[in-house]
Order: sequence, then structure tokens, then C-alpha cells
Amino acid sequence: MNESYFTEDNVQFNVEVKDWKDAIYKGVALLRKNGFVTAEYATEVINNVKKYGPYIVISPGIAIPHTRPENGALAVGVSLMTLKNPVYIKDSPSPVKVMISFSATDNEQHLEIIKMIVRIVEDGLIDKISSMHSIDDLNHLIGGERA
Amino acid sequence: MLQILVVCGAGLGSSFACQMSVESVLQEIGVHAAVDHSDISSAAGSRADIIISGKNFESQFRRYDLSMDLIFLDRLVDKSEIKEKLVPVLEAKGAL
Repeated sequence: MNESYFTEDNVQFNVEVKDWKDAIYKGVALLRKNGFVTAEYATEVINNVKKYGPYIVISPGIAIPHTRPENGALAVGVSLMTLKNPVYIKDSPSPVKVMISFSATDNEQHLEIIKMIVRIVEDGLIDKISSMHSIDDLNHLIGGERA
Repeated sequence: MLQILVVCGAGLGSSFACQMSVESVLQEIGVHAAVDHSDISSAAGSRADIIISGKNFESQFRRYDLSMDLIFLDRLVDKSEIKEKLVPVLEAKGAL
């Protein structure tokens, strides 16, 4: 079992959001639902983006909402949400279609999640993921190289 | 060994992802360096030779008045942008 594996409990497709803050709240709510983070985690992510800018937008089309462990992370966890209406995260250069939110308990233990994110970006899978509606297809696409 | 520090707001997500792309670029061009990631508040005291971060952090870094080379990226996980900006710095340092 792998913490970067997607299930019905941590994935939502085609979600409608009001703005970037709403998008972060909804993505992080999936972490909260699984007991990975406390209620304050989403607000902390939003505060960090306000303070530092849209550093969670690591490549066009994808944001990875996260903050420091001490801001409410309880365990290593991940969620994936695709947006019905892409949103700009604050002044991000491009709109976000896919959000992979995660929580980390230190600087290293969530390595598998980061590897998966890097693979998605480097393999150019963001557009494909943004139009998906099946968790099986999603896991097949991103887990393709995994034994 | 050459030290490279990748920096983002939290120091464990965007910077960690960027570190992986930096490491694959280094491998591709055959340069050995120790790469690590951290958050911006601890970056100011760093002894790294090169700091790599996102464009959105540029103004904050300029305020720190740091002596090492600074590289700012539009896309943190874009190997071609990393290569384009890192290679001249490595050449200037004689590491390439």
C-alpha cells in the first residue's frame, strides 16, 4: 500500500470552485476527511500563499497546496481534485486545472508523493488528468511505471 | 562539493519537487553536487554555493543581500528552464 495511491476517499473530479481560496479549502477538505490534517491546515496554506505568492503552482495547470507540518499536519497524506473552472492562484502566471494537496510530517517522508507529482509534470499528464472521470484510469495513468 | 539549495515557502513541497528536477539535470550534464531543499526563512543563513527558487521569491531574496549565486525559475519542475539557467552559473564556477 502506498500513500500516493488514489481512492474514492481522496479524489474528486470536476469540482466547481468560487475562487482560489475556495479551491484550496475544497482540496484540503479531502485531506481533512481522511484525518491527515487539522481544520486549520487550509487556512495556513492560504496564509502562506498570501505571504509568499503562488509557490504552490509548480508548473502551468497544476497546484500542490501544502504547508509546514507544524501548521496542522497529522500524517502524510495526499488528495487530488480536478477543477470544472480553472482558477488563478492569487497572481499565478497560469490557471490551475489540477490540484494535488498533501500533508507532510517532516521534510522527507512524503518523498513518494513528490516523486508522483514530478512524474505527472515531467510526463505532461496534467491535461489528461484534468479531463478524467475515473479513479481507476487515474491510477493506471500515474502508476503506469510502478511495479 | 558544490552545494545547491532549492527554496520555497514551506520548504518541503515545491522545493522538494524542484530538487528532483535539478538532480536529473545535474545527472544529465554530469555535474556532482549536493542538492537540498528548505523554506525561505532558513535560506538566509545558508552556506550553499547556489540557491534556486521561484520567481515569486526574487524580491525577498534581493533584500537578504546574499553572496551566493541566485537562480529564479518561472517553472519549478521544468528541466529545460533549469538547465538553461543553471549551466551558465556552473560554467562560471568552473564546475562544468
